[in-house]
Amino acid sequence: MTFADENRYPPSESGWRVPRPEPRAYRDDAPRYASYGQAYASYGQAPRDEPYAHDAHRRSVDLAALRSAYRLLRRTSTLAALGSFVAYVVLSCYAPGLMGSRIAGELSLGMALGVLQLVVTFAAVFWYGRSAQRSVDPLARNVREQAVAVGRNTGVAR
Amino acid sequence: MNTFDSGTQATVLVLFTALVTVTLLMCVMAGPERDDLTNFYTGYRSLTPLKNGLAIAGDYISAATVLSTTGIIALAGYDGYVLAVSTALSLVLLMFLLAEPLRNAGRFTMGDVLARNMPGRSVRVAACVVTLSATLPFLVVQLSGAGSLLTFILNIPHVAGARTASIVIVGSLMIIYAALGGMRGTALIQMIKIVLLLGTSLVVAVLVLNRFDWNLGDVLRAAQHGSGAGPAYLQQGLQLGTSAVDRLDFVGLQITVVLGVACLPHITMRLYSAQDVPAVRRSMSWAVGTVTTFCLLVIIMGTGAAALVGSRYITATDPHGRTSVLMLSQVLGGAPTSAGSTILYSAVAGMVFITLLSSVAGMTLAAASSLAHDLFAHAARRGQAEPRTEMTVAAWTSVVVGIVAIGLATLVQNWDVGVLTTLAICMGASAVAPALTYSLFWRGFTRTGLLATLYGGAACALLLMVFSKAVSGTPSAVFPHADFDLFPMQSTGLVSIPFGYLAGWLGSRLDHRRRAAVGLQSRRLYEESEARLLAAAE
Repeated sequence: MTFADENRYPPSESGWRVPRPEPRAYRDDAPRYASYGQAYASYGQAPRDEPYAHDAHRRSVDLAALRSAYRLLRRTSTLAALGSFVAYVVLSCYAPGLMGSRIAGELSLGMALGVLQLVVTFAAVFWYGRSAQRSVDPLARNVREQAVAVGRNTGVAR
Repeated sequence: MNTFDSGTQATVLVLFTALVTVTLLMCVMAGPERDDLTNFYTGYRSLTPLKNGLAIAGDYISAATVLSTTGIIALAGYDGYVLAVSTALSLVLLMFLLAEPLRNAGRFTMGDVLARNMPGRSVRVAACVVTLSATLPFLVVQLSGAGSLLTFILNIPHVAGARTASIVIVGSLMIIYAALGGMRGTALIQMIKIVLLLGTSLVVAVLVLNRFDWNLGDVLRAAQHGSGAGPAYLQQGLQLGTSAVDRLDFVGLQITVVLGVACLPHITMRLYSAQDVPAVRRSMSWAVGTVTTFCLLVIIMGTGAAALVGSRYITATDPHGRTSVLMLSQVLGGAPTSAGSTILYSAVAGMVFITLLSSVAGMTLAAASSLAHDLFAHAARRGQAEPRTEMTVAAWTSVVVGIVAIGLATLVQNWDVGVLTTLAICMGASAVAPALTYSLFWRGFTRTGLLATLYGGAACALLLMVFSKAVSGTPSAVFPHADFDLFPMQSTGLVSIPFGYLAGWLGSRLDHRRRAAVGLQSRRLYEESEARLLAAAE
């Protein structure tokens, strides 16, 4: 759904959206994906002038790749976080003997696991950011560039 | 049991006045132009990830989190530790699962996310109803708590007039912040609040550990002794009990917190003001880091309160232990008249005060935005409202929401309404969470399914809550002498979350079966907007 007053980015003079400058995070991957783009360009004679169907096909392939990359990342991270927490709560409730066993002085296993979960959170968030940057961001950039190219080809006024 | 002289109270009052003046000034200066909608709702997406992350964390850590969680840790030990872990984890789940697609799909409010594939006024109205029913209880419980809290801090006699006055003062300030500041102004207050909160909590935690010469074993031993529960303090069961149903209730409560808290509209609303997907990711990293650090500090503070204050004194002041942070700071400061004790107590009181103010302001803004954007601009005016009109409406709805909340809070101030926090979280987990996950990730989701999820999940949570043990039948319930507790649990998530998801699934099935065209149209709209959802491609 679009809105009458939709105004997310400053519109460019030429009528379509200018591709926004990429954040620095992408820099590491830039060469690889530039060469991918060139390989693709030499495969078709002039990709910018290809018929629309070709673009649409490539677009859906890119989108599918992005979708599955996102899905994998989402499922792994969510299931790991939720799974470990549910296991912790269920163990706390139904194995109080195990969780109450002292591991060092007054510190019980349950308390240690709880604090450990909080500490591991920092590492998990860092890991998520790294993996998302590697697996998802380049694909998302492809899809965005495709959308800009299609918009140019079909002359959709934006 | 506040044993302070008038000097301390004067310091606290001066500090409160200074906090209010500074934040009001900043709020007005950062506030939006009169007819700039984007500025009012998202602050032009101009905040850096660090600032936005701090604002998300500030919105996330409400006064209820600070005071209740510390209290539960002080009184119930292990159950409170689990609650602190689940509070931190909820934001982590929001980051992993929803934050990035939400940023791409949303514009100003939750209604924008839900209605993007399903145009129509019914969706907007439902989104607004659920937003209100999730934020208003939270708002009322914190405002009514503000009354007894301020009278406790300032050591005013506990008469109804003083508490009502405190509620009205806090409520009016919150209205001013929300109406004048908009998203950017409240973001500034949230940042100030989270910095003060983290700083003060860190000092208190360090003082607690220092008192026991940094020996964790000693802290835990003293806490077991002070809580009067002995070894049970370090085992699950003190909060809700140890029978089979009580344990199930405990599991349900934790799962509800994990799924519900981070989905509440005033938190997801902050995500729309991130610049792009990497920015939202970095914002969330900062937010999660801040919240997790705070949860670790809360664990230390709560245990310290049990060890140094003791549960007998804590429950004598408040049966839920919500004043335990303040009492801990009194004990830690040393002699009641020394400068150290005055400074520490004033700092903690100021932290509680600014936390209270900023969290109610954030919730008012979320409720008012939904009323102005979903109900007025899109449902009543069908998206044809002038930005200027919508801004004015948004400012006035903040006033209306604020006044309604003040009225309700004054009405219920003599009851024990802590259950409203649980209700808000249950609403988030059983109506908002299913609606958002289905809408973002399931292409077969239809309008009937969405309405069934929103209304069904919310109604189920509300109905079960009314007949739960938290409302009647137990000594700590809202109506301790009445007896209509047909649902033997304190929180409803264990039943209402599956119900919300099931209602959405059944509703969508029904649409596909009965009106195939509608189902196909929803699917087509989802696929058309998928590039925008996943990659922010226009």
